[in-house]
Amino acid sequence: MGKFILNIIHRPEMVPEYAEKITGHGKKEDISRKSLLTESLDIFKLQQEIAHENGLKTTIQMTYSSLFNEEAIELAKEHHEKYGDEIGLTLLGLPCKEFREKYKTKDFCIWMFSPEDKKSIVNDVFEKFYEVFGFYPESTGSYYMDAELINYIKEKYPTVKCAVASCWEEGPKAYRTCNNSWYTFLDGGPWNPWIPSKQNTHAPAANESEDSGIVAIPHLSRDLLACFDGNGSNFGTHPQNVLRGMIYKDGEYPYLYNLIDQYRSLEKYNNGFAYNMMFVGPGWMNKMGRWEAPYELLVKSYRDGMAYYASLKRKGELVDMTMSEFADWFRDNKSYTEPQCALWKDILYGSEKQLFWYADPFMRTCVDMNQGGALIDLRPYVAKLERPVGIDTGNVHDASYPYLIQSMYRAGYFTHYAGEGSIKSCKISYKGEEVDLCLCRTKARFTQDGKDRILTLDPVDIEFSDLTIKLASTFTFTENTGEIRISRKITESSNPEAKVTVNEYMTACYGTTEYPEDMTGIRLICKGENETKGIDYRYRCREETVERVVFVQAVVPQVNTRVTMMPLNGEMTGYIREGYAFSPMYTLGLTTELSKNEEMITCLRLEKAD
Amino acid sequence: MPQAGKGRLNYRCPSCFMRDLDIDMFYDREKDEYYCIRCQFTGKEEDVLRLNEMCRFRYKSMMKRITEFD
Repeated sequence: MGKFILNIIHRPEMVPEYAEKITGHGKKEDISRKSLLTESLDIFKLQQEIAHENGLKTTIQMTYSSLFNEEAIELAKEHHEKYGDEIGLTLLGLPCKEFREKYKTKDFCIWMFSPEDKKSIVNDVFEKFYEVFGFYPESTGSYYMDAELINYIKEKYPTVKCAVASCWEEGPKAYRTCNNSWYTFLDGGPWNPWIPSKQNTHAPAANESEDSGIVAIPHLSRDLLACFDGNGSNFGTHPQNVLRGMIYKDGEYPYLYNLIDQYRSLEKYNNGFAYNMMFVGPGWMNKMGRWEAPYELLVKSYRDGMAYYASLKRKGELVDMTMSEFADWFRDNKSYTEPQCALWKDILYGSEKQLFWYADPFMRTCVDMNQGGALIDLRPYVAKLERPVGIDTGNVHDASYPYLIQSMYRAGYFTHYAGEGSIKSCKISYKGEEVDLCLCRTKARFTQDGKDRILTLDPVDIEFSDLTIKLASTFTFTENTGEIRISRKITESSNPEAKVTVNEYMTACYGTTEYPEDMTGIRLICKGENETKGIDYRYRCREETVERVVFVQAVVPQVNTRVTMMPLNGEMTGYIREGYAFSPMYTLGLTTELSKNEEMITCLRLEKAD
Repeated sequence: MPQAGKGRLNYRCPSCFMRDLDIDMFYDREKDEYYCIRCQFTGKEEDVLRLNEMCRFRYKSMMKRITEFD
């Protein structure tokens, strides 16, 4: 029996995001407006009431502004005593009269402040918290907590053991959806709780020396398929987000329960652990309604969400914890190297698509069964990239962890007119015909064998004009190696003597957005038993091949990463291919010939370059 | 003609929503219509409601309760 753990978080945000814009339409901005403060507190009280009615405990994350409000403070103390709620401290909700008078800015996202201001703000809010409650908090958070911020907090306030540290795949897609006005570029992190490294919040720590000292939880539990393609803010364990996505009819939203249940099902892939986080800011339960959803529906959806969690708790299928309780549980039950896995299926669009997400201290990747097991996302966590963010760092906004492959941003299999997109797949060719597995839709199942997580795909049929074969693919992720072993085996053939050419390839680049980056400086290497060839990337469309290959490799200094593909069985030919300006990619490939019952096994390895 | 304001609810532009853009529309009292300041959409409230239904075309499983995830 698995363990499904729930964190519910509420924040008394005296000036909720959106509320001033929505309730204040037609009025001059005034964040100390009495009606705004009263309504904000009322919403917080209602959220707390709904959780408690359902027998669920919460983490109350006090905002800076709420630390100046006696009623909010007394409520937090009372609920801590009565219901066991934890009193934490969020770095969201900074805007208030006191904050603006001191910092003379309307900025409110902690990771965007200058390093000096971050420290000063942390000191102010943590000391104010201590002054009010007489102790320092054990949990904190924001939409994103950069590594430098976490390191500072942990050093100065070591009581902190848990933080809301990122929103999964909230990046360029969210920016665009918000009419290019929501500057949260936070792509590339884990979707479930993790221990962030000291170097980069997104990248999990590999060991104690990299451990930032906190357990990170994601801001909401998001749909691992819908959010990868669409606006993250529509598809999460946030009932009003589901309304925002218009995923309801006649006041009913089974999708919300499907999403929660799919997260529960992830215990199958994670040694019995499943997790959910719900964190609804007060602005989402505004009396004016939110977009086309009236207040009554906003509140109903929150009540329904909590009631569903409560029903699971009554059946003994859910454990509600505060954030610090969860951090203790996580430390006691999880290791640095244990990967997160999620074999995720479409629960919204009726496509039957299936993705497999994998994250560990070496990488995050996604295997798309709808494209024959192509890798459609690859992030080199092993590089532990130090990328300070905020004013005065030279990088004000971009907190995303870079990809090598992101097929949504960088084309993938399908491109217009010319060039290639980023993807790792396999091509099968025979007598001048070629088929890419990206066009072979299939399904997969997951098994675990000791330190190996194995993804076995249902064999796919490949038809040539005078040959039909069945090809089976297996992906093996071995814990604590940074390697994926990929097997391609011909299990059936209409002509057992016929040999097909199998081309295991990876077309990649690097970046954090939809736009290309300068590839100059990337070094491609093709090492054979008898010779080594190399290409220094200059957009010249060059290609090199070696027989009896030992490995093919790309060193990408821009993301301090070395990515290598190598044969694990039999003799193979290797090639490296430079792109050109209209196709700013590089390709690594291994080829061999197979006939019936023969297998090609290759390895993809990610390493830090220096 | 007076300035536009918000309507009874903050309706988003259905045309923009279908291209993954969340944009509030504004309400023109004289014409009794909502309009989008980014694209060219204009429509009465009933048009918006009807088109919001259309926006859901891609959610084929929206009302299906799913309990198996294998």
